[in-house]
Amino acid sequence: MATTPDQQKSKRYVGTLVGQSTSQEFRLAVAHETIREQDIIAVDAELRRPEDNTAPEKIRVWAKVQRIERLNPLFPAEAGHELAATHTDPFETVLSLSREMVTAVCQVLGAEPLAGSAKGKLDHVRYPPQPASSAYRPDSKDIARVVLGELQQKEKRGLDIATLSNRPEVDVKVDGHAIVTRHLAILAMTGAGKSWAARRIIEQLAAKNYPIVIFDPHGDYTGLANVPSLKERVRRYYAQFPVFEQAPETVVAVVEGLGWNLANTHRSMFDDFFQGANAFISGAPEELKKRTNWLSNYLGNEKIAYYGLKPNLFFLADFVQAVVQAGGREDGDALNQIVEWSGREQLRIKRQVAGWLEGLPNNLRVAAKRLRQMEEISKRVAQASEPLPLDRTQLVRYGGISVVALAGYTGDFQATIYSLVADEIFTARVSDNLRLPVLFLLEEAHNFAPARAEMAAEQRSITTTRQIAQEGRKFGVGLILISQRPSRLDETTLSQCNSYIIMRMVNPADQNYVRRVIETLGEDEARILPDLDVGEAILSGQLINFPVLVRMKPPESKGEREERDAFESLEEIQASLTNAARR
Amino acid sequence: MNQENAQERRLTEDGVREDLQRQPHLFVKLAENALAVAESLRNNYFKNTTHFVTALRKAMQAASQGKRSDPPLTVCKIDGADWATFQGEVVTFIDGGVGRVQISSQAPILLRVGSYCVRTGERRLAERERFGYYPVILGDLEGGNKERKDFPDIVRITAELLGGLSALERTPDLRVLMFHGPLVYLMGGYAGHTPFSERDIDLFLHQYQPVAELGRQLKEDFLHEAQLDIYPRMVPESADEWVKRRVFEPLSWIAYLYRRLIREAHQRKPVPIIAGVVERGELREFSEKVLLERVFRGLRVKGNADYFNQMYGRSDLTSPKALLDRLGYTDTLLLSMLLQPGEFSEPWEIGKYDGLSQGNVSLPGEARTGIVDFAPLKPGKIGFPRICGCYVHVSETTEPVRVEVFSELGPEQIVEAARRTYLYARLLPGYGFPVGLDIADKYAHVPAWLTDAYSKLIQYHLGVSLQRGEISDAEMRRVLVQAIYMTHRDWLFRPKT
Repeated sequence: MATTPDQQKSKRYVGTLVGQSTSQEFRLAVAHETIREQDIIAVDAELRRPEDNTAPEKIRVWAKVQRIERLNPLFPAEAGHELAATHTDPFETVLSLSREMVTAVCQVLGAEPLAGSAKGKLDHVRYPPQPASSAYRPDSKDIARVVLGELQQKEKRGLDIATLSNRPEVDVKVDGHAIVTRHLAILAMTGAGKSWAARRIIEQLAAKNYPIVIFDPHGDYTGLANVPSLKERVRRYYAQFPVFEQAPETVVAVVEGLGWNLANTHRSMFDDFFQGANAFISGAPEELKKRTNWLSNYLGNEKIAYYGLKPNLFFLADFVQAVVQAGGREDGDALNQIVEWSGREQLRIKRQVAGWLEGLPNNLRVAAKRLRQMEEISKRVAQASEPLPLDRTQLVRYGGISVVALAGYTGDFQATIYSLVADEIFTARVSDNLRLPVLFLLEEAHNFAPARAEMAAEQRSITTTRQIAQEGRKFGVGLILISQRPSRLDETTLSQCNSYIIMRMVNPADQNYVRRVIETLGEDEARILPDLDVGEAILSGQLINFPVLVRMKPPESKGEREERDAFESLEEIQASLTNAARR
Repeated sequence: MNQENAQERRLTEDGVREDLQRQPHLFVKLAENALAVAESLRNNYFKNTTHFVTALRKAMQAASQGKRSDPPLTVCKIDGADWATFQGEVVTFIDGGVGRVQISSQAPILLRVGSYCVRTGERRLAERERFGYYPVILGDLEGGNKERKDFPDIVRITAELLGGLSALERTPDLRVLMFHGPLVYLMGGYAGHTPFSERDIDLFLHQYQPVAELGRQLKEDFLHEAQLDIYPRMVPESADEWVKRRVFEPLSWIAYLYRRLIREAHQRKPVPIIAGVVERGELREFSEKVLLERVFRGLRVKGNADYFNQMYGRSDLTSPKALLDRLGYTDTLLLSMLLQPGEFSEPWEIGKYDGLSQGNVSLPGEARTGIVDFAPLKPGKIGFPRICGCYVHVSETTEPVRVEVFSELGPEQIVEAARRTYLYARLLPGYGFPVGLDIADKYAHVPAWLTDAYSKLIQYHLGVSLQRGEISDAEMRRVLVQAIYMTHRDWLFRPKT
């Protein structure tokens, strides 16, 4: 049976305005459990324009329920203490438990003509809604229209990423343009659904062919390649630490970090060895082949000739060993050859010095081995055999997603690799050598743009990220920062983000930081952060018309870290081992 | 200190002094009294009171141990007052209040009677609790003398009583009906009001009747009894005219409602407990007629009739009344010092109707007055019921509360009422008053001293009633809207836009 307009209105009724009403906030007396925090509601009002004697204009004031207060004034605290002291169930007594005042404090979002002719754009309310007015729950269609705001006229920009948390039937689209140009931060504690949200956004952006480069420290984005629609677009790269693109002192720090501390003699000679080795390996292909064979023969190591020379620590170790061997044997020919190919006269060392340097090759090999181990992990997690291209701009492709797997590397290595890649691409954009715009996604962004740099690598990556955050918009380079420890993020970088997706967050330091840095986040929204469910988020900033509580839609892809039940996995492995043994 | 030692200590003057010092309400009251009494009594007021109370405690102790046969006061322990014993009981609390809405009228505009009905142990909230409130617009009444200060009281007493009767009639399994305040007031003071018109009574009954027919029947039954017995005895000369004009003399109408309440209760098994609970009572009848009467008699028996005069150095402390007049003692003050928490005093029949005698009354709309004899309304066939009372001491930090019941409903009423009063009041040890009455009070009352939260609650519920259309009368709606939103006199008289 069809319902009458009055019945519909009565059904949608949520409460009545009571007390003092202002153009920013009003209070609603509501019935028990008819409303939830973050619900979007509306109040109809009539306003006459100043100095206009025509009929008053009918408007709809939109508001969001910021908090709900429950009070049972008929249940005295004193009685509660007495019940507690005597272990008495209140239901056994004559105390009143049924009468509660439920008041919803609502934040005014804006107003539009009742006919909806403003198409979702909300005007500022300059005169408070009338006390005793009725508030109601608007249609899903109307809510969707208002949440979308002006975006509905620019539908191409919309990314379909969520539904309203309290109204699952209402899709929430956000402004993709704001995300790719003015940066987005996704902030949440572990397990709240950050990567899930990010993957959904990436999938949506990829559908619009936007070039994306993901710096993935944990393999959260490897699953993107398994999404049928993205299969051809996603390329996964394992990262190699580019030894010879570093300053010598950085490599010393790497070697000391992965191997042992260098002796003073080793340290004093390191610069010459490093520069010499770099020159040695920089020859033309034919020349390089000649040098490779010479080194292989001189050191009696066939593997060098077999595998060829690579610009890594293993080569540096072999080079140093050749110098030490030649010096120790006082082999003038060999020393001449090395000096010729390396261009470093300082490498013509005496026997005694060679003795002092004997331990260095081993130390370099230990460090090289550990570095290779990290590379292997990176390769495995990335499920990719392709190393990062030497020309980083190749990562930026129309409709392409490049996932740079950094898993396996320690923080400083990750920061170094990121800053080299990001810096090169950004520079290419600035110099117009790269025509396509790009969006960088930084998972664990607090490692790439930490509040405090403790190592040179971190300092360099902060500088890079800050520069992109501040100037990226001009050069078509956007950022998505994802972090589980917002309070450890560089404040300048975070404050440059104009859009935010904030999910469950229980750490008080993080909550306070977020409240302080993010201007668009209201006090009441910040208050509910610890109570959000997994997958729930507050969208705030330029990506949305006004802050709303949403539930993120699931991405099509899966992350490497979406863990299976450990015990189920164990049983499966054991079963396969047993089968293998039987066979 | 173990219990035995504590008990012994109670019987020493030091022990009494410690007790008094531990109870700030007592200490303050005694200090006030000490300043108010004659100068000759002032110096040793505290010391002599301690001495007197110690002697009383000793006498009571001796009687309880069988060492003397004439105790000045018998005290009973409240046994079995626990929630487990009273599960499944339906209890209704009734309270009336006068709204302090700021208007220019002499009488407050709004009188509210609230009822709170609860079934202990019921976990379904919808089944567990029922609230009702009944607004009466005093300005609408034709009867009653509006210029008299006690006009709101007579209306409130009537409304509360009708609320109680209504609760009893609509709740077949009602076990306890508890009123906030005396079960019956000292009715003599309220004599002489202009009778209510039938229209007034209809206004009352409109809110209270469980079904329309019962309300009409109540009215007709009273008028029938008034014609046969009441008015011929109260106004022999004008009885016919009063009957013809169908007027309801307030006191006889109230007495009739009491009798009706008792009759209805008598028909139930078990008989519901009907009680009134009084806080901060200034009554001293128990002290005068029971406690001190026995003390003076005992002193006379012992040939020590001059005991108080010697103690206070005076010559006029020769009777209970004189002693109470001079020393400012009241029932609650003396019993605070004699009862321990969890005890109640022996019951006594309270004299409520001494002031019922002749008075002048005018009929609605008339200036001339006629003589009316209110003496027939003393307990009897057409009179008020006899009232039995006792004092219950709930906690050390509060004064004992007075519990009143109808004598006619049986001797067990007072014991059962005392048990429940104690149990209900234990939930508010700092207040020492039944929590259900506190709830009804908060729900019903609109006085200025109510906290902001309570007034918000009332506004909220009035608002909900308005929204639901439960108050259909347009004028009533208008007044209630004012009651909700207006707090200042000037606001109310702003011209309508």
